[in-house]
This record gives sequence, structure tokens and C-alpha cells, in this order.
Amino acid sequence: MRFNAFKLLLLFIITFVCPAQHVSALEAPPLKGRINDYAGMLSPATARSLEQKLAAFENETTNQVVLLTIPSLEGDVIESYAIRVAEAWKIGQKDKSNGVILILAKKERKIRIEVGTGLQGVLPDITAGQIIRNVIAPELRAGNIDQGISAGLGAIIGATKGEFKATAADKKAAKKKKGSGYGLFIILLLAAIVITAVAGSSSRTAGILAGGVSLPAAAGIGLGAVLWKLGALALLGAAAGFLISLLMRLFHAGGGGGGSYGGGWGGPTIFYGGGGGGSSSSDDSFSGGGGDFDGGGSSDDW
Amino acid sequence: MRHLLLSILGLLLLSTLSGCGYNTMQANEEAVIAAWGNVESSYQRRNDLIPNLVEVVKGYAKHEADTLKAVTEARAKVGSMQLSKEVINDPAALTRFQQNQGELSSALSRLMVVAEKYPDLKANQNFLDLQKQLEGTENRINVARERYNKTVQTFNTSIRTFPNSMTNSLLLHLKRKEPFKAEEGAKTAPKVKF
Repeated sequence: MRFNAFKLLLLFIITFVCPAQHVSALEAPPLKGRINDYAGMLSPATARSLEQKLAAFENETTNQVVLLTIPSLEGDVIESYAIRVAEAWKIGQKDKSNGVILILAKKERKIRIEVGTGLQGVLPDITAGQIIRNVIAPELRAGNIDQGISAGLGAIIGATKGEFKATAADKKAAKKKKGSGYGLFIILLLAAIVITAVAGSSSRTAGILAGGVSLPAAAGIGLGAVLWKLGALALLGAAAGFLISLLMRLFHAGGGGGGSYGGGWGGPTIFYGGGGGGSSSSDDSFSGGGGDFDGGGSSDDW
Repeated sequence: MRHLLLSILGLLLLSTLSGCGYNTMQANEEAVIAAWGNVESSYQRRNDLIPNLVEVVKGYAKHEADTLKAVTEARAKVGSMQLSKEVINDPAALTRFQQNQGELSSALSRLMVVAEKYPDLKANQNFLDLQKQLEGTENRINVARERYNKTVQTFNTSIRTFPNSMTNSLLLHLKRKEPFKAEEGAKTAPKVKF
């Protein structure tokens, strides 16, 4: 049976040459906090008190309510703009999609309330429309910007109050999101590499075992339990390392070096997994929880 | 010995097969199917609003029987279309779907224009609520279509670019999907400002 090296080479290229696919960036402004007053419509005191009010609301219910004011839509339609902002900011928790964004475009005098999918039971399109028409627009037309926006956010809070409640687990997760970083993982990774090298120098099998087990453990403890899945990939890498060390043995006389190769194969795989899966180490900044939007909500003029 | 060496190398490559192409294309196709599901449910949502709307308008605008009939018939035509998962693989079926929905959109637009002539109707709370719901639904339809088009673009790109195109022609045989085309002069939803 003749072995076709060309086909193997082609398969080699297919499996190892992997094009990365990127999605093009959206033009939503950066998320500064819960109050994003890019049009400068609020007084600083009101902005501060609203920021605190919305933060307290999130602590109590896990709902994320956010304000965005922009100077001008620049020819865009507020509905398309709003969904782009919602997709970029991902307001609302990932599992509940309980986010609401109140958007005001100063020049075009347009208001929109964009409601996440999880809150559309208590804040359907009709209610959002009523809040805009009856609560926000009249105040804005009369020139009471602070009042109008405060009342609008208050109405949104009132409508969405009963839907979700923060549990002890939610509060712990929120705290963890703020504090964790890569520090612990780096230390554990170094320890794992040392263990693998030591085991590898004594025997090849021990090196493979040490690499395949200690590196996933380092990732699992350092970055979170989810990465056990990637730990499985590391074991695959360790197996690959075993095969490579077999090859090495065929070409070189020394067998001791093979063990550390096994550990090395597990390392890069886990490191990519760690880099991809780790949560952002933010200190006190606000960020969207990963919530989903489908275009529900309402818009109107003032 | 040479065979052993090469077959071990082959095993090694097989263990990394998930790295490229094979799984990505299938995941992308599933994303297209899921996005299509959202498109269908958004259109269905609009369909469900229409009987109420027709009833409310009928109460105030008895003489506009023709317009009301046009809406009801367009809705029935949409409802009678047999939709299977294959519509995303079949460009002709997608065009027909888009056409039927487009006719319903036009009929709805005409109805909303007609409704402007009746001040009692415009003040009716039911009608105002339905109008808000209709706006929300039209927006959802737009968002769902845009997201569907994005997944189609990702999928089509992934089956055509180099390494994946080989995996597709050798192993998977996935077909190119059709995106939604923009309708003539109907870029924004039928919106009526009272």
C-alpha cells in the first residue's frame, strides 16, 4: 500500500493553517458608566445621584439600566443606532438579559428606550412608549431636562422592579468580577511547569502525566472551573506530546528530554484557553453583563 | 517503521482536526439556522397583531372595506406559505417568502395611511397601543433580518475561504445560503406620526 505523502501534506496544511475571522467594529461610544452624558444635558449633581441610584438598583435586582445622550444621530435612524449600542455594550446579565438603555439624541430631539429580552414582560413596547410620551417628553419640551430624565429613569426602575431579585450568589459573582486577575494563574502555571520539568527529567511517562494534570489544574484553580473543558484539550496536548517524544526517541538517543516536551505541549494549549476564558480584571468600573436585545422598546420625539 | 512513523503523525493531525474548518463551518451553519428562527418568529409576531388591528379599524372605518380586505388577504397568503428549514438553502423559496411579507407590509402601510383620516380612531387607546406594538414588531423584524444576514455572511465566507473550502468540498458539502435583499423604497418600517 503506497502512502501518498502529498495528501498527507495537504491534510497537514488544512489542519494547521487556520484563518481568524473578525467581526467589524460598531460605532457605539465607549461605555463610561451608567450615565453616559455625551451631549452634556444633565447637571453634574443630577448625573452623580442618578449614577448612584442605578448602581443601587443593580445591586438589589441585577437589572442594568443605563443612560446615553448623544449630541446628534448624524443622519442615522435611532432604532438602528440603539440596537448597535445595545450589541456593543451588552447591558444586562448574560443569563437574564435584563438591561434597559435610555437614549436621547439632542439635535434630532429623539428619545428611545431599548429593552432587553428578559424585561419585555414587565416593560413591553406599549409601556416604554407610554413612559416616553407621558413622563419624559413633556418635561423635556418644557425645558426641564434633569427632571425629565430622572423621572424617565425612575419610571423604568418602577416598571422593572419586581421582575428579578439579586441572590447571594449574584452578589458574590459581581464582587468576583471586579477583583480577579491573571496573577494567581501565572503563579500556578509556573509551579506546574516546574513540576513537569522535574518529573520529565526522571522519566518520560511521569513528565507526560505531570504536564497533563498540573496544567489544567493550574488553569482550573487560577481562572475558574469552566476551564476544565480546556483542561481536556491540554490532556490531548499531552497525548500529542507523547507521540512527539516517541518521534524524538526515534531520531535521538536520549530519552530524558521527551518528558519535558510532553509538559511543554500541554502548556501552550492551556495558555490560549486561559487567555481566552479569563474574566476582565476591572477594579471599580461598570461593564455590561452580556445581556441580549432583540429590538424591542419604543421611540418618540420631544 | 516508516509506516508506523507516518501513521502516528496522521493520528497526531487527527487529534487537532477540530482546530480548523470542520467544526467552525458546522457551527456557522447552526448560527444561520438559529438566526432564521428568530426572523420567522418576528414575522409571526406581526402576523398575530393583525387580526386585532383589523377589528379595531373596522369599528371606526367601515367604508374602508377594500383596504381591510387587502390586509386580511395578504396575511392569509403569508400564513399559507409552507415554511421548512430548507427555505434558507433555496433562494427561490426565500425570494417568495420575502415577496409575500413585502406585500403584507405594503397593505399595512396603506391601512395606516387610511387610518389617519379618522380622528376617532386615532384617539382610540386600543389603536394607539396596537400601533406601538406594530412599530416594535417592525423593528424586531429589521433587527432579526440584519442579524440573519450577518450569520449568512459569516457562513458563506467560512465555506469559501481557502482551507475550509477544501474541507467543505471533500467532507461536508454545505451549501451557500441566501441573505435578505433590501426591498425597493421600504428601508424604514411603516411609521405614522399622529
